[in-house]
Amino acid sequence: MRTRLQRFRLSITPQRILAVLFLLLLGYLVVVPLGVMLQETFIVHPLERFQIPGSMPGDYTLAHWQRTFVGENAYAFFYRPLINTLIISLGLAFLALAIGGTLAWLVVRTDLPFKGVISNAAIIPYVMPSWTLALAWITLFKNQRIGGTPGIFTALTGIATPDWFAYGLFPITITLALHYFPFGFMLIGGALRNIDAQLEESAELLGASRVTILRRIVIPLVLPAIFSTFLLTFSRGLGTFGTPAFLGGPVREFVLSTTLYANLIGQRPGIGYLVAFVMIALGVLVLYMDHRIIGTRRSFVTISGKGARAGLVALGRWRWVVAGAVLAFIFGVIAVPIVALAIDTVMLRPGVYALSNFSLHYWIGEASLAIGLGTGESGILRNAQLMRALGNTMQLAVVVALVCGVLGMLIGYTVVRLRGTLISRLLDQLSFLPYLMPSIALGSIFLAMFAVARGPIPSLYGTFWLLAIACVVNYLPYAVKAGINAMMQIGPELEEAAVMAGASWWTRMRRVLFPVQKATYFSGMLLPFISVTRELSLLILLVTPATQLATTITLRYTDRGWYPYTNGMVLLLVIIVIGSTVISRRLMKTDLAKGLGG
Amino acid sequence: MFAGDVRAVWELDLDIPDGSFTTLLGPSGCGKTTTLRMIAGLEMPTAGEIRIGDLVAFSLAKGRSLAPSKRGLGLVFQSYALWPHLTVAQNIAFGLEVQRLGKAETARRLDEVAAALQIDMLLGRYTSELSGGQQQRVAIARVLVMRPSVLLLDEPLSNLDATLRMDMRAELKRLHAETGATVVYVTHDQLEALTMSTHIALMNEGELQQFAPPLDLYARPANRFAASFLGNPRINLLEGTAERDRLLCGGLTVPLEAPLDAAPGERVVLGLRAEELRLAPIVNGEAAAGRARGTVTAVLPTGSDWYYRVGLGAADLIVRQNELPDLRLGDAVWVAPEPAPLKVFAADGRSLTGAAGLATGAGLGTAVAR
Repeated sequence: MRTRLQRFRLSITPQRILAVLFLLLLGYLVVVPLGVMLQETFIVHPLERFQIPGSMPGDYTLAHWQRTFVGENAYAFFYRPLINTLIISLGLAFLALAIGGTLAWLVVRTDLPFKGVISNAAIIPYVMPSWTLALAWITLFKNQRIGGTPGIFTALTGIATPDWFAYGLFPITITLALHYFPFGFMLIGGALRNIDAQLEESAELLGASRVTILRRIVIPLVLPAIFSTFLLTFSRGLGTFGTPAFLGGPVREFVLSTTLYANLIGQRPGIGYLVAFVMIALGVLVLYMDHRIIGTRRSFVTISGKGARAGLVALGRWRWVVAGAVLAFIFGVIAVPIVALAIDTVMLRPGVYALSNFSLHYWIGEASLAIGLGTGESGILRNAQLMRALGNTMQLAVVVALVCGVLGMLIGYTVVRLRGTLISRLLDQLSFLPYLMPSIALGSIFLAMFAVARGPIPSLYGTFWLLAIACVVNYLPYAVKAGINAMMQIGPELEEAAVMAGASWWTRMRRVLFPVQKATYFSGMLLPFISVTRELSLLILLVTPATQLATTITLRYTDRGWYPYTNGMVLLLVIIVIGSTVISRRLMKTDLAKGLGG
Repeated sequence: MFAGDVRAVWELDLDIPDGSFTTLLGPSGCGKTTTLRMIAGLEMPTAGEIRIGDLVAFSLAKGRSLAPSKRGLGLVFQSYALWPHLTVAQNIAFGLEVQRLGKAETARRLDEVAAALQIDMLLGRYTSELSGGQQQRVAIARVLVMRPSVLLLDEPLSNLDATLRMDMRAELKRLHAETGATVVYVTHDQLEALTMSTHIALMNEGELQQFAPPLDLYARPANRFAASFLGNPRINLLEGTAERDRLLCGGLTVPLEAPLDAAPGERVVLGLRAEELRLAPIVNGEAAAGRARGTVTAVLPTGSDWYYRVGLGAADLIVRQNELPDLRLGDAVWVAPEPAPLKVFAADGRSLTGAAGLATGAGLGTAVAR
């Protein structure tokens, strides 16, 4: 017994202390809020007592669960949004897979020209905020349904767009697919690239035809990536808020995320949190399936380093046609929304698309109730509120990027150094947990947790720190994965050599581990920076007038139909985001694909 | 013990003599690297004690574990573990800076060790710009600059190509002689162990098989494993029985001067190295005492010797001859045993003819790990 005590004493190293600290921190930030939220679904809240006869605020009740699942309005308020969500997610996953996969095959396996340009440009639709396309769609195709002015399409052609085309499930699915296809492109492209040429060559030598090789060797090897892409985009689709909000609102089509939002804004947290819980359960289910079906098979795609491409398929005369089509498609997806939004911001009287209507009023004009939409708001670049929101966003992005970078590295270090122990596995899985939760649901658990003071921790509602914490937790899985990969690449011996030389833990961090990982560190920071800049779903529930962000403030303007301001802000964000991607790629050779876990 | 009940090293009781060049030898997974790392302080034994000189480096009973840098050791990693973001000079001086030795002393020692290992021209380069051999010298320099009393080397030559390996072996022996440090060397290459060490600790599956000077180990292995592991080509093992005054193994008869510690008729294994067998062409067809008839199944000349594979009954023997042979593929030959000394093993593998082993000498340290 005494030896076990001695052994324990001797095993207390800085790594273990760090690990325990992180476990506690993550437990408090991830697991506890989940529990709190679940608890809230059983409690009567102030405004809910009117719907539950004879109840007082604070009572425990099953009414929320009852009303949601078996109540008389359950279909309208829950099942229909659920079905919508599933339809959209399935649809977008298929489309994204089809587009991304085809693109990947074209780039990796054929002799398509302009591959460099195409590969670089293909990432951009993902980098832009997901609802940019939604806004552009509205700008292009809106009809009289939402009142106000007709969209560009109608203005140019005079044809009124039907409701099902302009709003609802159809455009939601399409715009989301166009946003997420880069996922498929990167994942499937990566898988195709990593197939050892020798695997195919040996089949060829045995006499297999090109088609047989494709069917029996290439596709099975790429299958894990295909499944993975499907499930990943499916789960991302579950939690997205912006697009369904913009495109579903006008026709009152709800999905789970907008239902969640509506309930929480409407002071019905019991039901709201229940919806969040369902979303999280769905997310966990989907990613569990990913792990089960693919987890073990992932190892089939060997990274042998000799992934020399097998013979490229010659496209013959079609080369230039296909290349042209692909380029047109990608730049279309990038440029058309940007142009549409830009046009909308410089048309003084909305709906009148004529050169005479050109004006920079919405950008730099003075506040006026008479000009244009008569909003009484200053132009974007002169608007104190909007600029402050933009400032908030940038501040948040930088802080989160730094924190994620450091945390990711430290947690990655701890997990790898303590590899094989229970504590390491726990830490690994706990830091991965936020990945399973759809963004808006994650936001809601933070709302549940920090809206009121609990014990020594004060209420963080309305503070910048709440936003920062939510973002850090949300992007931690990517940061930790990057950190783990970096540490595995380096290997333990560099640090052990420093141990032998007598360096303390802090000295080892400072003089060996941090410097050696510099490049990965910056790559790991780019993703949180970009993601925070364009984040809407996660933070929409957590912002207050004092902490408005560039993305959330646009919702205010869309609600009032003041699209030029919304579109202008989005344009600014798009410029910032694309700009930082391009610049950091040039300067620091960061690779976004690595950060995305592709 | 590692997590999950993996016995990495089991009941190791080893006394490494001061100033020796001791090799921890064995196949992959035998626990030699783990032992080295325990001595270094990078792994913690789950039981026992480690002493270096008079210093108790580790003792579970007393709950004491000395930090690696305070044990007076230097460790050269198999992969060298040079820091890629530092120059050669910075790599070597790292330990001195951590110990705060002062600029003058640091510079002096740096120049001294760089000259000794002939890397003074490389001091400003980064490690990625160096060849394998140069990297290794830097790794050794980094360790020597700290003036350790014990030098630990983890398979340092395995990453080098064959010609470089020969040169480095001589180099390491020279360093051992010059510095007077005790060297603990880990390798799976038995030739390296034989040529370089003063003592060999042979390990298999976490257990110490034998601890003795190389040639003693070669001549008097403690068990079948030790006999097979050392020597190239592998020792020939013939199964048979032991009588009171002779052995009958594989068709060969070997007279015994003294009876073995075995019951008459007990099954034993006779070990004969390639150089302990004599071949002669069958001329007249007359038998001679102790010889058996065999057939040459392969002829393998190496330039200085000839190796023959000879089929003897059901067994295949490898025999070495260094005279001009008259033997060709398919020839019938007489095979005669000339054991020097006799190596016989019981059915459970242990030696029946005496094993070489060092009694505890002026100990450098005792490592006991359970």
